[in-house]
Amino acid sequence: MREVALEAEEVRKTYHSRSGPAVEALRGISMAVGKGERVALLGRNGAGKTTFLRIASTLLAPSSGRVQVFGLDVSRMPEEVRPLIAVVPQEGKPFFHLTPREQVYAYLRARGIDRETAKARTEQALEQMDLGEIADRLCITLSGGQKQRAMVATVIATEAPLLFLDEPTIGLDPFARRSVWESLRRLTRSGSTILLTTHYLDEAEALSQRLYILEEGRVLVAGTADELKHQVGGTLRVTIADGGDLSESFASFGTCVREADSLHVITGPERINEILALAMREKLSATVGPVTLEEAFLRVVGRSIDEE
Amino acid sequence: MAFGLKWSGTAAFCATEVRVQFHEWLAILTGTLVQGVLLVFVWVLARDILPIALVGALVYSVFLIGQRVLNEAAYVRIDHKLNELYHASPMSPEAYFIGMSSGIFLAYLPPILVIAAVTLVVAPFGPLPWAVMVACLLAVWSVSSSLGYFISTLFRDMKTIWPYSSLITNLLGIVPPVFYPLHLVPEGWRWLALVLPTSSAAALVNGAAGLEVLSSGDVLLAGGSLAIEGIGLLFFGIYWARRAAREA
Repeated sequence: MREVALEAEEVRKTYHSRSGPAVEALRGISMAVGKGERVALLGRNGAGKTTFLRIASTLLAPSSGRVQVFGLDVSRMPEEVRPLIAVVPQEGKPFFHLTPREQVYAYLRARGIDRETAKARTEQALEQMDLGEIADRLCITLSGGQKQRAMVATVIATEAPLLFLDEPTIGLDPFARRSVWESLRRLTRSGSTILLTTHYLDEAEALSQRLYILEEGRVLVAGTADELKHQVGGTLRVTIADGGDLSESFASFGTCVREADSLHVITGPERINEILALAMREKLSATVGPVTLEEAFLRVVGRSIDEE
Repeated sequence: MAFGLKWSGTAAFCATEVRVQFHEWLAILTGTLVQGVLLVFVWVLARDILPIALVGALVYSVFLIGQRVLNEAAYVRIDHKLNELYHASPMSPEAYFIGMSSGIFLAYLPPILVIAAVTLVVAPFGPLPWAVMVACLLAVWSVSSSLGYFISTLFRDMKTIWPYSSLITNLLGIVPPVFYPLHLVPEGWRWLALVLPTSSAAALVNGAAGLEVLSSGDVLLAGGSLAIEGIGLLFFGIYWARRAAREA
């Protein structure tokens, strides 16, 4: 049995407001993350991902329930937990009037890391995040993606045993995203544990070893991306453009999932020809591809991840 | 570890803040503008109270540190979310608060030293008034930084914070007898001037320098108030920094 890095039991959070009704952001989240694992919390905006991450990282008190980091209760022992964690906040930005090199180094020094180690780790993190050429430019002059990479570099340089990353690749181009993914994989290979939130399905699939799909403050399903995709009921997906109203006609071929005007039919290879023939008779265009996490998400949540 | 406080990281964060502030050198330069303008008015209209106005300019300059702490702490929290990076780390909330306010103090020290140098030339005080000055300025820094940090945590939008920042600066920095003599305040309001942190600091320095005549009761009231406010608000600021590090 792998050592548990993070364990949550029935965590609930209700935000009370003077100007409106109380909002139940978390409605009993339970999960466990093993040491050295990369786990993603996947969900639409408002699903409760950030709230959970902020509770687990000692920044927010839960209304009830318990979160433990390496066996330490985050509510009762935050000071003991904090040296073990590091956080990339959602939409966090580096100090604009520091360079990425200064930003990373200053943060490591503030965490109590000695000068030599801080210098070495700063250079390593800058290199990992491909920030070498812009390491001495003020962050205010950097693009949004470069600023985000500086934030990720700041946190990975800590080499904290448990990293929380709230939407770490938001605003990054595909190359930069892959570079962040690779760095995070490398970190977990060296023993760090990563809990990240994302609403990028490809990121959750490519990066996480396990994922939790959250919706309206609850965990709807947990498992590996493959396990979730298998739950959909097939290995291939036929997407029929403008076929949203024809789910009854296609229901006998497999699982039908409607997304806006389109219809996705999840099925096996033996039914593909029949589905395509029916689509052609209806004068609709159809494309075939492997089942993705998107279908799994649609099936589990009932809505697209981008739907507000 | 007195009172269970943890200071590790304070110096590093203070250095970070100095570096950040120094990049805004124009803000530091213009930090003395208001004081300079007021001193010009005094020079033209009432040259005899210029030493009092210079003491006031020093008190006001240090009081403005609080406004800058307010703006910086709010900006870092609301716009950059960097407070979360630091609060979810071994660095304590008190180290974050004191590191930030002392960093801003150090960054804005050069213009304060310029005013101090002018004061030395215009009104060469002895060592006692300067010692009183240093103690009072430290108390004013403590009060204004703590107030600034406290207010910075109350709102979710920078635009909401700005009016409070200028309101406090004007109500406590300009209206009370900081730039003008205490004896011009009507007798019935004098106690209030001696209780407010800025005007009590100015009165104590002016009294020690012989620029104002203070009764022993005045000294006791002003000194006692400033000491209580300075120490009390510093502890409140630390308490609040700890509380604000973790949202309820």
